[in-house]
Amino acid sequence: MSVVRTVATGVVVQLRQMRGTPDWFLALFTAPLTTAVFVTIFLHAGRGDLTAYGVLAPALIALWQMSLQTAGELIAKDRENGSLEALLAAPAPFAALLGGRVLAVVAVSLVAFAEAWAVGWALTGSPVDVAHPWVFLLVLGLTALAMTGWAGVMACVFVLARSARTFQNSLSYPFYVLGGVLVPVSLLPTWVEWPSRLVFLSWSSDLLRDALAAGPVVGLGARLAAVVGLGAAGYVVAHGLLGRTLQRVRRTGSLAHA
Amino acid sequence: MPELTTPAPEATGSVRRPSPGRRPSPGRIVAAASRVALADLRTVYTPLTWSVGWLGRIVTQVVFFAIIGLLLDDREALVRLFVGQAVMVAVVEVFMSVASTTWERSTGTLALLVSAPGPLWPVFVGRSLQWIPSGVATSGVALFVVGPFLGVTWTVGAAVAAGLTVLLTACAMYGVALSLAAVVLRGPRWRNIVSNVAHTLVMLVTGVTVPVATWPGWVQALAQTLPMTHGLDGVRALQAGGGPGAVGEPLLWAFLTGAGWFALAALGFTLFGEAGRRDGTIDLDE
Amino acid sequence: MAATTSPPDALHLESLTRVFTPRGKAPVTALDGVDLRLPAGGVHGLLGPNGAGKTTLCKIACTVLLPTSGRASVLGFDVVRDAAEVRREIGIVFGGERGLYGRLSARENLEFWCAMHGLGRRETRTRVSALLDRLGLADRADSLVETFSRGMKQRVHLARGLVADPPLLLLDEPTVGMDPVSAHDFRALVGELRTEGRTVVLTTHDMAEAESVCDTVTFVDHGRVVGTGTPGDVRGLLARGSRIRVHDVADARALAGPLDLPGVLTTHDPARRTLDVDVEGGQDVVGQVMAAILAAGHTSVTAGPPSLEEVYLGLLGTDGDGNRRGMRVGS
Repeated sequence: MSVVRTVATGVVVQLRQMRGTPDWFLALFTAPLTTAVFVTIFLHAGRGDLTAYGVLAPALIALWQMSLQTAGELIAKDRENGSLEALLAAPAPFAALLGGRVLAVVAVSLVAFAEAWAVGWALTGSPVDVAHPWVFLLVLGLTALAMTGWAGVMACVFVLARSARTFQNSLSYPFYVLGGVLVPVSLLPTWVEWPSRLVFLSWSSDLLRDALAAGPVVGLGARLAAVVGLGAAGYVVAHGLLGRTLQRVRRTGSLAHA
Repeated sequence: MPELTTPAPEATGSVRRPSPGRRPSPGRIVAAASRVALADLRTVYTPLTWSVGWLGRIVTQVVFFAIIGLLLDDREALVRLFVGQAVMVAVVEVFMSVASTTWERSTGTLALLVSAPGPLWPVFVGRSLQWIPSGVATSGVALFVVGPFLGVTWTVGAAVAAGLTVLLTACAMYGVALSLAAVVLRGPRWRNIVSNVAHTLVMLVTGVTVPVATWPGWVQALAQTLPMTHGLDGVRALQAGGGPGAVGEPLLWAFLTGAGWFALAALGFTLFGEAGRRDGTIDLDE
Repeated sequence: MAATTSPPDALHLESLTRVFTPRGKAPVTALDGVDLRLPAGGVHGLLGPNGAGKTTLCKIACTVLLPTSGRASVLGFDVVRDAAEVRREIGIVFGGERGLYGRLSARENLEFWCAMHGLGRRETRTRVSALLDRLGLADRADSLVETFSRGMKQRVHLARGLVADPPLLLLDEPTVGMDPVSAHDFRALVGELRTEGRTVVLTTHDMAEAESVCDTVTFVDHGRVVGTGTPGDVRGLLARGSRIRVHDVADARALAGPLDLPGVLTTHDPARRTLDVDVEGGQDVVGQVMAAILAAGHTSVTAGPPSLEEVYLGLLGTDGDGNRRGMRVGS
């Protein structure tokens, strides 16, 4: 099947490209330190019970950063070497290639979970317990998939609106707040909480925290549905945007001045 | 091979003799290089990308840390994390000079700089100055515009003194960043890793998130060498209601440690130039 | 310093060697015991293929690279011991688009380098204006360099090399990628610099360029000097006699008999329809050869010394067995 093979090609191409370029692994270099920042804040406040929060946040940040970076870099690189138009001219393989590349990065970024967990252990002297491992793994998998879809949206936005790339740097902290990666959005004022519920990450982070905690995970089905629904929305939007991008290539013959 | 000597060409005029020596002034080199910095700043940011994109990101970074206070249900922690992060964002931006220093390699000017009579270090001191005004401005917006929304208020006198303290801290931390940059020039592909890891370490140990005293002695000693530790002490003192006199000592220490780091950076750049001459890592069009 | 009666050489190399040791790889000898003296004044060409060692030589001369062994001095100053003095005496220009601050204007670029050379404010102003005028950049002086054409960038480069009014200019492949008109203007400028009494050391592999501007040429290959001297001298390295080229020769057999003379060698190129006749004897033999050619009905004939390109091809063109290069071709 050509789509599967293209995804696999995307994974391989991406891993090859990352080799020898430390920038791709930036998030993995900073994740342990960010873990230390968060965990020491909680320890200093005498709230060792929040260690799980401090361990989870840097890992989610790494996941987000690396996905977004692929989306941005992919477009910039292909644009530079002039292969973007050619790649876009064949719609299905392009989406599959993009998917494969993002998937590779998302997979690598999962290393940050292990790093953060190890640092948390080292600082507190006891490992963060995963009370509901299956829920945790399920949510993590869905989160990674949803991330891939939204990274695809970003990739298209970077093509369609050239200036968007200037804001790539700015897509970090606003989403860490709205995605509730450290502080649950339920603690935020309602006018912030409401829009944050449209960010799949806010559902993911709440679920992941609950999966680590000893108590039962309440309303699992509905919350999983939210992650799936918002993640699927990413794929739908990405598909639509890709179509528009293609139209533009066919109409103008080029993306050079998009 | 025998020594080959070429005859002098027929004289077409008097041959130019070496000119009397002139001593390039580091101050003028810094000023000249700062125009490169300014030009870079104009390219990196437009008024829109700076005010919406960059400032927005910085403000949410400060908010992200401040709301940890909500999680802890501790107002004091909120203020502490807010003030720490608001000053920290200036340092984050100043550390971008680690990357912009290596831009000199991609411009292809390095060989020309080494072979010019002027010293190398003032060029690098000047060419990344752009981050200081931008960093101090974002920090100022965070402290004095976002702050009041979180209940962190300032008297005019305290605000002026805090603004100046942030400026001095940013300048002094620029010396730290340049010292790192002098090392990273040897391996430019590590520029982003080094600047990010370094500023996160600064955040960790200088009292931005937890008091310096929480750390083991050797970490505390390291923190004392960083101007940020002292500058942040000053801003915190001002925020807690101390008069401008409260910042005297911290400012002095920030200044002294900063001067030390600048000296180290100058040495680093000079050694970089010498090492490049030895191992041939400076290419003519690099 | 060298002798007091004559000015020190522009470039004096003694057993100059540079070995690069890339990490994890075998050492590479870029310069292998080079001895060379280029006198002050005039235009000196360094010719050779890519990787011959020309750029390494330039880098050592401009103090960006230290020699592994041997000595190099520039206008009497040692490049290791007196690097500061050397840096005051030289201007460097290399070809290509890099080495300028694209986001600064031409004027700002020059002002920056004036600061690096320790020029005062007033001096900077007058020097920069004069250079912008001289290089035809006055109209675009305040435009950003990144908007310039390649030829214009190259002129900014030259102006930059001249900010300190250096007695010695090192030009490394300065006309690479230049259009013919710019290259022509550039050569005219090099002529002017020579007239002003500056020494110009120029690396190139454009033989026409070397032919038109150089007072001396030095052929470099495999890190060694394989020939040096005035263009006239180096022609002598190639062929001691004269070369006569007969044009429109479809079939050389008619000339084979009459030209079967001692010291005469013929080479027929059917594709170009030329017959090259190399004569090693004196003028009498040349006369005999000319008479035979004319007698055979050929009137389209050129005669003269070999071009530098021919010398270059002769010295460096055949990569037979490494360093031992044949000095004679067609024999």
